[in-house]
Amino acid sequence: MKRKLLVIFFLTVIIATVGFFAVQQEAPVDFSTDVKPILNKHCISCHGGVKKNGGFSLLFENEAFAKAESGKPAIVRGDAEHSEFIKRLTSDDPELRMPYNAPMLNNSEIAILKRWVNEGAKWGEHWAYTVPTDVDVPKPFSLARLIGWQSESLTNDIDYFIQHKLNQKGLSFSAVADRETLLRRLYLDLIGLPPSLQETRAFVNDKRDDAYQRRVDSLLSLPQYGEKWASWWLDMARYADTKGYEKDGYRQIWAYRDWVIKALNQDMPFDQFTIEQLAGDLLPDPTKDQLIATAFHRNTMNNDEGGTDSEEFRVAAVLDRVNTTYQVWLSTTFECVQCHSHTYDPFKFDEYYKSVAFFNNTRDEDTEGDHPKLRFYTAEEEQHIDSIKYWLTHSGSANLVKSADLFLHTLEPKIHAHYSDKLVNGALYDTKWLGIRHGGSARLRDVSLTDKKQFYMNFWTDVGGGTLEIRKGSVQGDLLARVNIPATKGRQVIVSPLAAHAGVHDLYLVFKNPSIPAEQAVCMIEWFAFLEAFPMSGAGSDQAKVQRAFLQVVNSHAESVPVMIENPQDMQRKTFIFERGNRLTPGTEVQPMVPETLNDFPKNAPANRLGFAQWIVSKDNPLTARTLVNRVWAQLFGRGLVEPLGDMGTQSTPPIHRELLDYLSFNLMHKHNWHIKSLIREILLSSTYRQSSSLNNEDVAKDPENYYLSRGPRFRLSAEQIRDQALAVSGLLSKKMYGPSVMPHQPDGVWMTVYSGASWVTSTGEDQYRRGVYTFLKRTSPYPSFITFDASSREVCLVDRIRTNTPLQALTTLNDPVYLEAAKQLATLMIAEGKGNVASCIEAGYRHAMLKDPIPQKITALQKLHTEALDNFSKNPKEAAKFIGVDPATLKREELVSRAAYMLVANAILNLDEFLTKS
Amino acid sequence: MKDLSKLLNEAQQQQLHAVTRRHFLKECVAGIGSIALGGLLGNCGGGVQRADGAFDLNALNPLVPKSPHFPGKAKSVIYLHMAGAPSQLELFDYKPALHKLHNQPCPESLLAGKKFAFIRGVPKMLGPQATFAQYGQSGAWVSDHLPHFSKVVDEVSFLKAVHTDQFNHGPAQLFMHTGNARLGRPSIGSWVTYGLGSENSNLPGFVVLTSGGKTPDAGKSVWGSGFLPSVYQGVQCRSKGDPVLYIADPDGIGRDLKRSAIDAINEVNKEEYKTFKDPETLSRIAQYEMAYKMQVAVPEVMDIAKEPAYIHELYGTQPGKESFANNCLLARKLVEQGVRFVQLFDWGWDSHGTNPTDSIDLGFRNKCREIDRPMTALIMDLKQRGLLDETLVVWGGEFGRTPMQENRDNSDMPFLGRDHHTDAYTIWMAGGGIRNGVSYGETDEIGFTGVSGRASVHDVHATMLHLLGFDHEKFTYEFQGRPFRLTDVEGNLIQAIV
Repeated sequence: MKRKLLVIFFLTVIIATVGFFAVQQEAPVDFSTDVKPILNKHCISCHGGVKKNGGFSLLFENEAFAKAESGKPAIVRGDAEHSEFIKRLTSDDPELRMPYNAPMLNNSEIAILKRWVNEGAKWGEHWAYTVPTDVDVPKPFSLARLIGWQSESLTNDIDYFIQHKLNQKGLSFSAVADRETLLRRLYLDLIGLPPSLQETRAFVNDKRDDAYQRRVDSLLSLPQYGEKWASWWLDMARYADTKGYEKDGYRQIWAYRDWVIKALNQDMPFDQFTIEQLAGDLLPDPTKDQLIATAFHRNTMNNDEGGTDSEEFRVAAVLDRVNTTYQVWLSTTFECVQCHSHTYDPFKFDEYYKSVAFFNNTRDEDTEGDHPKLRFYTAEEEQHIDSIKYWLTHSGSANLVKSADLFLHTLEPKIHAHYSDKLVNGALYDTKWLGIRHGGSARLRDVSLTDKKQFYMNFWTDVGGGTLEIRKGSVQGDLLARVNIPATKGRQVIVSPLAAHAGVHDLYLVFKNPSIPAEQAVCMIEWFAFLEAFPMSGAGSDQAKVQRAFLQVVNSHAESVPVMIENPQDMQRKTFIFERGNRLTPGTEVQPMVPETLNDFPKNAPANRLGFAQWIVSKDNPLTARTLVNRVWAQLFGRGLVEPLGDMGTQSTPPIHRELLDYLSFNLMHKHNWHIKSLIREILLSSTYRQSSSLNNEDVAKDPENYYLSRGPRFRLSAEQIRDQALAVSGLLSKKMYGPSVMPHQPDGVWMTVYSGASWVTSTGEDQYRRGVYTFLKRTSPYPSFITFDASSREVCLVDRIRTNTPLQALTTLNDPVYLEAAKQLATLMIAEGKGNVASCIEAGYRHAMLKDPIPQKITALQKLHTEALDNFSKNPKEAAKFIGVDPATLKREELVSRAAYMLVANAILNLDEFLTKS
Repeated sequence: MKDLSKLLNEAQQQQLHAVTRRHFLKECVAGIGSIALGGLLGNCGGGVQRADGAFDLNALNPLVPKSPHFPGKAKSVIYLHMAGAPSQLELFDYKPALHKLHNQPCPESLLAGKKFAFIRGVPKMLGPQATFAQYGQSGAWVSDHLPHFSKVVDEVSFLKAVHTDQFNHGPAQLFMHTGNARLGRPSIGSWVTYGLGSENSNLPGFVVLTSGGKTPDAGKSVWGSGFLPSVYQGVQCRSKGDPVLYIADPDGIGRDLKRSAIDAINEVNKEEYKTFKDPETLSRIAQYEMAYKMQVAVPEVMDIAKEPAYIHELYGTQPGKESFANNCLLARKLVEQGVRFVQLFDWGWDSHGTNPTDSIDLGFRNKCREIDRPMTALIMDLKQRGLLDETLVVWGGEFGRTPMQENRDNSDMPFLGRDHHTDAYTIWMAGGGIRNGVSYGETDEIGFTGVSGRASVHDVHATMLHLLGFDHEKFTYEFQGRPFRLTDVEGNLIQAIV
């Protein structure tokens, strides 16, 4: 042993000496790490993307070295003395001295800028915009390791990176957390639920070397893993059960939530996970699941209020998709660029709209119906569809089969009523539905009629006998169709043949029904569609029969989920720059393209959302893998390796563990092939993760916030976890997965929204005790206890939940009926297991919650509560009955009092800091 | 090299994104504010653990009173929002010319390039549906809908030409309260509570009260904390049921038992703190203590039954009901108790004329009757208690109403109504450093557009912040890599009324 120490001593001396000389040879100033933070802090708000005072900007290299208003460049490379940029920092004239009207830069800042200019003022790219490379693991040379001896504190490469920084800071790893705490941490992190007592005991007694690793692997394969990690992704996807804005009506989109859970459980590689969500509809012959995945971007809000301009909110949704995509995958605050070039990061104004162009060609138009939607048919209906497709395959063309299939499953492409204009004697009712009176008309402009020989219309009316004439070019133009309008029961789709007319035309719709009162509309219309003709005859069956079956399927009341569907060629939208970010002042037209600073758009990728998604998950993209690694890390450690989670670029804090971030990011792409589970596994197996989270005073002084990770993570559980855990330890939790969202008990009067008749109908049976991920989320009025614990209202993308600590949280876990019910169940377990001994009962309760034995002081405190409760309830047995919620006649007095006292102790246990915290 | 690392360290310290309670703790104890406010007052100087080992719970409170940029005249705010947007043309903006144009088609020039929520084609002009007279020394114009209010006009300053750019309720309310029509920004009440803290540690710093049967169209986002820590969000107190969700002890649990339970929880938590030394544990102890105190303080302050008869007479209150009158009285009580910002929403002002209740001649008159006495009483009551000087009272809607009669779907409405109007509407303010009896801004002959003294929503915010002691351009919060302000990049102080 002594000899080993001696070897280590000499090695240390050698390393220290090498290190000393390395430091002596001063490295040149680095633009990204040394200079750019100073510029951002002091200069760029007046000399950047928004303002360019004095004609001088420090945002882009060409601007910084260009001539300023003075006619000379402010920075002379290699010559600080003659650079106005440097001279102004120390000028005696307050009118000249920079930063203007602000304190002078400190000496070290000025020294850095001076050195930078003298060294040639080399511009550099921020590390976040260069592709992560394979980083060398900082393994110190160790003879000990050569002979197979390894320090206990190091398990995998992650630990070497952490140790390297700890050494620099004079810190060291904490001991491994005790087994009970470690297992609870692991369970909460992987499946969001605590282990059972049995599982904990088994782990404590499992002496195998790989006992821990076995737990990691088996937890990763549980279906609850997907439920836990889904909450993280759904915050970013802004998934909710309502549409948002004022009306905030119901949106059936839970199929997307289930898709996320399944994809995570299957460990779908992140590149595929990305492509399916951003562009699943553009994949060749997309599966239903791939279409459901695109609901990611149908979680944008939809404004159903009367009088709203659908185009305004369609554009708002498209911009939200762009901003969200950049935020979720690239940690970039791209929304800044909507109005001006980015203040800090190298993104130009027009590049924002070039990205918008990728997203600006989907069929959704902020309609009340939330179209387009993927329709789910019954097996019988699917059979009809198959036979229709069979007939079309053998009688028509492959294209026809494709377009018929698309129409049957999505009712697209359709033209919404709000698209109509030039209304005569009619109106767009509630700015949604077209209602024209007898003799009135409306126009549909620029309809492509090439190959279109069928006219479909979704409408309703109480009175039949009306007609709709479709005329070309004017109300007196060629008659293309005369449609008889029957009375309907609710909405109905009808079809009419359309006279053949190639090309793009304005269509005039003339409505007639002399039998109705003058003020009444002939009918109300939601949408129109123009389809290719079915063949006149075909294999085995006749055209009329197929047409009838087709219409029947279209008219069926299918369940559905909103999805992305791209505009067909003849309905493409152009994209324009919005001057100052205002859609009402469009500027020049732009084509889809990605920002210059980032990786090139992949060769051969299509210039649409699919190509954009491929660009995001290209291994040349510098931000995607880093973003994912950083956010997974934050889920486990409570904080990312780079902060803030929403901004990786010049505004992020210089990361302490940048090499580790790059190492993990490179491995994620090249070793783990984008498998998130492999990444999580690697992190969880590190010794860094397994450390105890207890603070010692020395650590606190050196690193109060634990940035260097000399101890394990310790932070409050998420809103969902807190509820799930209380249900789990009391035995109430339902394991039921998937399906429509549920409505557990919430206080009366929480839902009070304008105009919508929606109400909270408390779920029954096990649906009251489902995991939080299945709780109904109404954006304007989310489940109150979740909001209290900082869950998102999911109106917009959220990458980082804040963690507050408020009295309202205390009131929730103390008094919310769900926690009282959990306390009641836990008390039952306590009484059963304690067998009449008070201390044993309390210990049992604590053990169920914390999975370890309590220290005596804690038992004393809880026992005191028990004594006081017992005393109090003995005097008021009726109060005891009220507390447990039973009829006092049904139980003996002692029983009543005893149960109530344990229930209050259980209530206290479920409120302990350690219970609400992952340690 | 040493300098460099020190520099980096400093930069890092300053850029740390401050969102957790840990941050408050640090802010509080070390005095590093993320906003450049003045010194932190209260109990922030000391540590959390006193010399005798006991925990100083006040030091953990993120709502301790703080000083603004300069001494403000107003210490608290009561904001009366008439959700749905009341008509300025029937209340304060008297337009005799509109009488003469009554029932005549609206001139095309007023319609060119304008967008309305429901008006289509060419509507008719609608004369004022009220009788006006001038009141007080200031000679303020007030309609006969507000007989009580006309007696206190000399305490008030009117902004007659406020304008917005949102013509739908939800976005316009968001704009009015967060400075932005889209979701995600902190409300003005959150900003103020964040900047000033609260004077009462037993009550939330920012309280919201609603009446009219419904919450505002934009939902709870209008009192949300946006990107500010959620401790600054408005706490909705309900006048029916529990005033705060889950504030009532469960059936069968009295105060003494709750005390025992909190004591036990905090005792165990202190043991936990000894092991882990996590400052969050101390915060939790403090918050449980505060929760216990709130359980008494909130129901107490929310109970108006014990108010003397003359107060009920003054406000027209009836205990146990959800009403604007009750909320006005509650607002006074809350402010008296040191609550920083009280936000009232009264729903039912959307006078389109689709039915009698939302018609400008019938329903509107009834709504005015509901608010006239209480809002007048509020000003008088604050004054008699010497609170008006330090309490800023703001009254207004999210936009105004058109001088034209609404003709939804191009046909006359069954009742008289006015459409949403963004170009001009009236807001009044009183107390908290507002000048007495000023009328600022003027609209054209028919009240369509402001012709002088136009004030934007940002200007209103800048003025409110000024009265509270903040320079709105310097009152910022770092989020997503840039400093955000309530007034975004706009807003000018309205000098004429302060």
